[in-house]
Amino acid sequence: MSVDYQPKIIGFLCNWCSYAGADMAGTSRITYPSNIRIIRVPCSGRVDPLFIAKCFKEGADGVFIAGCHPGDCHYVEGNYYARRRFVLMGSLLEYLGIEKERYQVEWVSASEGKKFTQLVSAFTDKVAGLGPRAEGQ
Amino acid sequence: MDENIINQIREKAKELLSSGTVECVIGYEAGTDGMTSRPAFIYEASDVERLVFDNTCTHNLATYLINKKTNKVAVVVKPCDARGINVLLSERQIEREKVYVIGIVCQGVVPVSWSGSGKDLQMRCKLCNQHAPVIYDFLIGEPAVEPVPTVSPWTSVAEMESKSSAEKTDYWNKQFSKCIRCYACRQVCMGCYCKECFVELLDPEWVGIKIDTSENSMWNMIRAFHLSGRCIGCGECARVCPVDIPLGLLNMKLAKEVAEHFEYRAGLSAEVRAPLATFNKEENLGIGE
Repeated sequence: MSVDYQPKIIGFLCNWCSYAGADMAGTSRITYPSNIRIIRVPCSGRVDPLFIAKCFKEGADGVFIAGCHPGDCHYVEGNYYARRRFVLMGSLLEYLGIEKERYQVEWVSASEGKKFTQLVSAFTDKVAGLGPRAEGQ
Repeated sequence: MDENIINQIREKAKELLSSGTVECVIGYEAGTDGMTSRPAFIYEASDVERLVFDNTCTHNLATYLINKKTNKVAVVVKPCDARGINVLLSERQIEREKVYVIGIVCQGVVPVSWSGSGKDLQMRCKLCNQHAPVIYDFLIGEPAVEPVPTVSPWTSVAEMESKSSAEKTDYWNKQFSKCIRCYACRQVCMGCYCKECFVELLDPEWVGIKIDTSENSMWNMIRAFHLSGRCIGCGECARVCPVDIPLGLLNMKLAKEVAEHFEYRAGLSAEVRAPLATFNKEENLGIGE
């Protein structure tokens, strides 16, 4: 692992809560690692497990997903469905040899800018600590 | 070969075809190799003598119902295949009125390959705790008291889980590097009925045409995921795999997760929704804090 290794992290943020939460972090001038490449999705329920698989296939070091807290979904129940999928996908990834630290799902509301930055920083540190993905992982 | 079972299948098939109740009876017939059986589609009452049943009848005939939706058909099912019918019914892929289910109390089937059949039962049959079909119109055989399996069905999965990430990566890379993406696993599966599979989409292109293990992994990973909570464990995918990828080990992992998180087993009822098609507000599942 070279000294200046920077992990590449893909973040899927729900438009209504978590993306607004990230916005909040920005307007509040809270800094967080720029390793995360944010993709805005209408709902955490929009995150097809295919997206996650594709991220890892294309070489992402980590995948971070955030959506509205359960009960707060803009589409009422999108994150309830998503939650079940994420749990299964997480265990499948781990089973196939992708460390579970490389994959994280969190609930972040629009007012939780601070929480968002803390989660992203902690996640980035964790992924950076693992180092680059193994060849062919 | 149990003559009694065969005679009952033939009689029932004859009755159904000659009365015009069904258009076709999907069952098993003797294969040309003289050792194994193969799926048979019987349209004439005079052809029912072709039907057989023995321990090489490993095929899951529920798969063929998807393409036989127009007229009523009868299908011969083992208990595992019967769960497949429940899955198709709960997903509204077939109509109950258009399927006549001939259920067989099954004593297990043996491994079947190009070179013939084995003697010992398939692993899934050794672990089977359901020898009578969950759904049928006509039952052949007497349901007996179920033996309590002495081994956990998840033994092989737990063994895999206990390995390190590097070992798992290494193992699956070796397996997936063999994949020629012939999609036999998909074609034989009663759960893979999408007319347009994600793997054939060009825009967005989820799986590229590049001959590479990463593309193979993508296919195998998502194939397994799409069957999570739906796979009935008939093992057909692994049987037809020309390069012997242990697909059952992947499917079993997801079945285990589904059983642990949602206390669900696919196909036990046509009325219950699959775990990923529903939710429970109260569950936490370890996401967030």
